[in-house]
Amino acid sequence: MSKVIDVELRNIMKKFQNNVVVRDFNLQVEQGEFVSFLGPSGCGKTTTLNMIAGFLDPDEGELLIKGRRMNGVPPYKRELGMVFQTYSLFPHMTVAENVAYGLKLRKVGKAEMQERVKRVLELVKLPHVADRYPKQLSGGQRQRIAIARALVIEPSLLLLDEPLSNLDAKLREELRDELKRLHQEIGVTTIFVTHDQEEALSLSDRIVVLNHGRVEQIGTPEEIYNRPASEFVHTFIGKTNRLEGVVLAQDGEGLTVKTAGGLIVRAARQQRAFAPGERVAVFVRPEKIRLADGAAADEVNHASGQLMIASFLGAFTECEVKAGGHPLSVKVQMDGQGMPLTPGRAVNCRWESEDVLVMPVERG
Amino acid sequence: MSKRLSILLLTAPSMIVLLGVFLIPMLLMLLLSFQDDTQAFSLQNYLLFIQDPFYLEILWRTIRISLWTVLCTLLLGFPVAMFMAQASGRMRGVVTMLILAPHLISVVIRNFGWVVVLGEKGWINETLLKLGLIDQPLRLMYNELGVVIGLTDSFIAYMVLAIATSLYAIDPSLSKAASILGASRVRTFFTVTLPLSLPGIIAGTTLVFSLSMSAFVTPALMGGTSVKVMPVIAYEQIMSTLNWPLGAALAFLLLGSTILLVTLYTRLIETKRYKEVFAS
Amino acid sequence: MKKLNGYGLITFFVLLLVNLPFLVIIPSSFTSAGYLSFPPEGFSWQWYAKILDRPEFIESFWFSLQLAAITAVLATLIGTLAAFALSKYRFRGSGVINSLLLSPLTVPSLIIGIAALLFFTRIGIAGTFTGLLLAHTLISIPYVVRLVLTGLSTFDYTLEKAGYMLGARPLRVFWDVTLPLLRPAIVSGMIFSFLTSFDNVTVSLFLVAPDTTTLPLAIFTYMQETLDPLVASISAVVILLSLVFIVLLEKVYGLERLFGLNSQSH
Repeated sequence: MSKVIDVELRNIMKKFQNNVVVRDFNLQVEQGEFVSFLGPSGCGKTTTLNMIAGFLDPDEGELLIKGRRMNGVPPYKRELGMVFQTYSLFPHMTVAENVAYGLKLRKVGKAEMQERVKRVLELVKLPHVADRYPKQLSGGQRQRIAIARALVIEPSLLLLDEPLSNLDAKLREELRDELKRLHQEIGVTTIFVTHDQEEALSLSDRIVVLNHGRVEQIGTPEEIYNRPASEFVHTFIGKTNRLEGVVLAQDGEGLTVKTAGGLIVRAARQQRAFAPGERVAVFVRPEKIRLADGAAADEVNHASGQLMIASFLGAFTECEVKAGGHPLSVKVQMDGQGMPLTPGRAVNCRWESEDVLVMPVERG
Repeated sequence: MSKRLSILLLTAPSMIVLLGVFLIPMLLMLLLSFQDDTQAFSLQNYLLFIQDPFYLEILWRTIRISLWTVLCTLLLGFPVAMFMAQASGRMRGVVTMLILAPHLISVVIRNFGWVVVLGEKGWINETLLKLGLIDQPLRLMYNELGVVIGLTDSFIAYMVLAIATSLYAIDPSLSKAASILGASRVRTFFTVTLPLSLPGIIAGTTLVFSLSMSAFVTPALMGGTSVKVMPVIAYEQIMSTLNWPLGAALAFLLLGSTILLVTLYTRLIETKRYKEVFAS
Repeated sequence: MKKLNGYGLITFFVLLLVNLPFLVIIPSSFTSAGYLSFPPEGFSWQWYAKILDRPEFIESFWFSLQLAAITAVLATLIGTLAAFALSKYRFRGSGVINSLLLSPLTVPSLIIGIAALLFFTRIGIAGTFTGLLLAHTLISIPYVVRLVLTGLSTFDYTLEKAGYMLGARPLRVFWDVTLPLLRPAIVSGMIFSFLTSFDNVTVSLFLVAPDTTTLPLAIFTYMQETLDPLVASISAVVILLSLVFIVLLEKVYGLERLFGLNSQSH
């Protein structure tokens, strides 16, 4: 099966005045793929989306949609669907009129229009609100209608600009699952902009992590999470513990690092090699650390210390441990068999060398 | 279409009207005010004003009437604004409607209503005569009193709105905080509410003062021939005496003195502390 | 816990005061006496019948209506265009243009009237309908600009983006999305311009020809010579007409919002 490329970005660069906000952006999105642009605000993700939508023109590089060069083509000629953070439903039109607007512009016949509106409202599970005005809908309903309005014209590409950001936590999760279901059902190629790593991880086929206008990494959620290409990617996606240190030894199976606080950390083989004496940062995710009773002898991937804070969060308890001069964050699953987490008590932290990530420390 | 062309096309009509009906005429008027009888440049119109006590007396009368109007609108308007700030949304709407709607009806008609009330055979005089409280009708208009009443009616809406706007902006929990700290209601008013409504008071007083200084219709109708103010004599010079240079000069002198007084007033009242508190 | 405090009492008094003129004009227009009095004596429509004997009032009434209507359309058109330029584009000099557009509000109408008279005499349109129309348009434009600018300031431009994405061209988006949502602001601007022109005396004073005058000016001139119930009956007609527009304005936009803007400018 040969791949069909729906969207292609070639060396895209965009600057505002003399400020480069997006540089060297290369990406190929396959037909039916769900790709997220993930990054903090100001990373260039929205600017890139606006270039794909046609609200901005790249200063350098080429943008192709369905193989057609799109530089300079206005948004209304691109046949794309877009959903905005603020819903952006026309307040003076009913739900049905909102959804039908794109069809009306395409001079679709009345009977077909009604049929398609009905079908898409059923698709988003809101067939009963057709005659209401947007004001009369809840936030979640509005966003579903906005999705329906974008989908009804059968766009070649669906652009989602932080569509879940204005919703409260529970609704957000609901709509996230809804997006996933819709994408599986209709398979429209989708580009999703978000600053929320959970959304990106759960929805995407691939994630583009952006920082300061640069692509940090493009990869599947697993790759991004488990094999981050940079310290930024690792720290942006999920909580982590960062310990600075110096490489003691490197061998075929991995390397040994001595941290500033004196802990000896053994890491499994990394993507790149390190030389002994090199300054590095060692990362261990909180959920990868296990707590045990009492103090242990000083050995590899062990740290004994004192439990400082324990915050019960339902499914797990978040603990802060002071071990060898490092504050360590530890996530403890509550399975009933654990020890009492009383602040002040001595604890023993332990982790596996497979769960350790080592990154070089950049010297400014 | 380029951005520059769009801007040009969109703003051109308004700029043409502004230029042809406002800016050029004002400039012409300014030049004319510096002309003497032979159309040569001269300061004589302005010098005449300074040297002739007749004109200075009129300016002082205009200022006096405006100050009284400011005082009346402030004293009557502040409580209304307080009431509006404390009222529920619905009550507030009703009060706003009732205070603003009259404002959209011609001043000539409103002044006529006051003639019916204040005139020699007006409501007040007839009532007082009938009750035997007076033997002769009181002179309630065709004097400065009548003008101040008419102007107060005309401009109180501006005062109320200006003060109400600043009162709405005060966080209601501030007066709660003051009472918890032990301040009485009167004390809270003078130490919290009043100082924080200062921007509204300043806006209202300067606006009402400027409007009163240049009011023409009310002094003409409610003051009659006996109460001559600056706008009235400027009008007479233009339309009756046909001495346009002097009329123009009088109009600018009125504008200039208004701006001068308003500037002095705000300089005096907007202290350093005021500016720090209300800096935007 | 509703109690009428001192503020309430004064408010009641002030509301009575500002509405008193109308409360006395309407009854006194129905007097059967031949002179102006309050409370009126008897009841009669005679003073309304007498309006018909005075062609100058009828004529000036129509003249004022026409003038106000054309002013409203012209000022709304010109003002709305300018407001769009100011809101949509950021450009050098936009601040200057903005304050220029509002400047006729800060200069007394007396001066605007005199200046217009001087200049219009030179170019030969003093005492013409055109001259009057231009001057009335000038003093109405600031209100339109401010109302439409306020409307645009709360306008969500992503709605336009949404329109483009659905395939609508710029003009279509303007017509289908932008304009309908700004309608309240634009319509209020139009009504407010109408009332501004219809009520104006001070500017008209300098620009009317002796034989064609506006209604408020005709009343003004008449009042300076005669005070009889005829003024009351004419005023009552104007009050009624204005009330229609005021109610309209309240329905379309809300007076509170309308004047909220008014007090901020100075």
